[in-house]
Amino acid sequence: MSYKVTEEGDVSIVHLDGEIDMDVTEKAKEIIMPLIEAKKEVHLNLKEVQYMDSSGISVLIESHQKANELGKKVILKDISKSVLKVIMMAKLEQILNLG
Amino acid sequence: MVALRQISEQRDFVVSSASLKDVRSFSREVFEKVNIEQDLKDELVLAIAEAAQNIVKHAYQGEDTEDKMEIKISLKNGELEIGFFDKGRPVDKENVRHRKIDDVKPGGLGTFFIQQIMDAVVFKEGEKPWINHLILTKKINY
Repeated sequence: MSYKVTEEGDVSIVHLDGEIDMDVTEKAKEIIMPLIEAKKEVHLNLKEVQYMDSSGISVLIESHQKANELGKKVILKDISKSVLKVIMMAKLEQILNLG
Repeated sequence: MVALRQISEQRDFVVSSASLKDVRSFSREVFEKVNIEQDLKDELVLAIAEAAQNIVKHAYQGEDTEDKMEIKISLKNGELEIGFFDKGRPVDKENVRHRKIDDVKPGGLGTFFIQQIMDAVVFKEGEKPWINHLILTKKINY
C-alpha cells in the first residue's frame, strides 16, 4: 500500500493505492486517525485500491466511528469496484459515508 | 491457455501477516488455470486470504513464528475444496462465529465473508504434524 495526502481547506484527502490487508492496517490507521483529529472532514480516495479484506474494512469502520465520536466526517470517494463489492458484502453501504 | 477441469496444488507459507500477499498470489495463479468468472475468482481469493489471516490472528494470536501453514486447493468433478493446515492453538469450534450483521464493529468480518462466499466450512483436528485442518468447499459451475 502507498498513499498521498493532500489538503483542500478544511478537508484532508488521503489517496490510498494498492492492496489493503492485515499487514498494512496499522500503517493505514497511523495515516488516517491523526487527520480525523486535526481536520473537520477526511476523504479517503479508494480509486486505486485493488484489494481490501476484512482488516481494511475494519479500518474504514474505525475511522467512521472515530469521526462520529469527534463530530467530524469521513467520506469514501471514488471507490473501486473491488472495494465496493467488499463494502456491500459487509452490508456497510448504508452505514459508511460513500461520496 | 487451456482451462483445467481438475487441479490439485498446495503451498506452504510462513505464518505471518506478511505472507498474506503471497497467499493471494498463489490463489490467483491457481484460479487462472480454471475457467470461472473473474468475480468468483476474486471472491475465492478473498475467502482464502481471510482464512489464512484467521490462522495468523487466532491460531497464533499474531505471535512471531517460523511455523508454516499449508494451503491446498483442489478441484474435482465441480467441487472446489480448499484445505488449510496449521500447527497453532487448537481451534475452539464453539468460539468461531462471525459478527451479527447489524453489529457494526471491526472484527468477525473475515469469518462472515468466508461463510458468505463458500458453501461449507468445516473444522477438523489436523493429522500429525498438523493441529488444525480447516476445509472450505464450494460447488463450481464451469
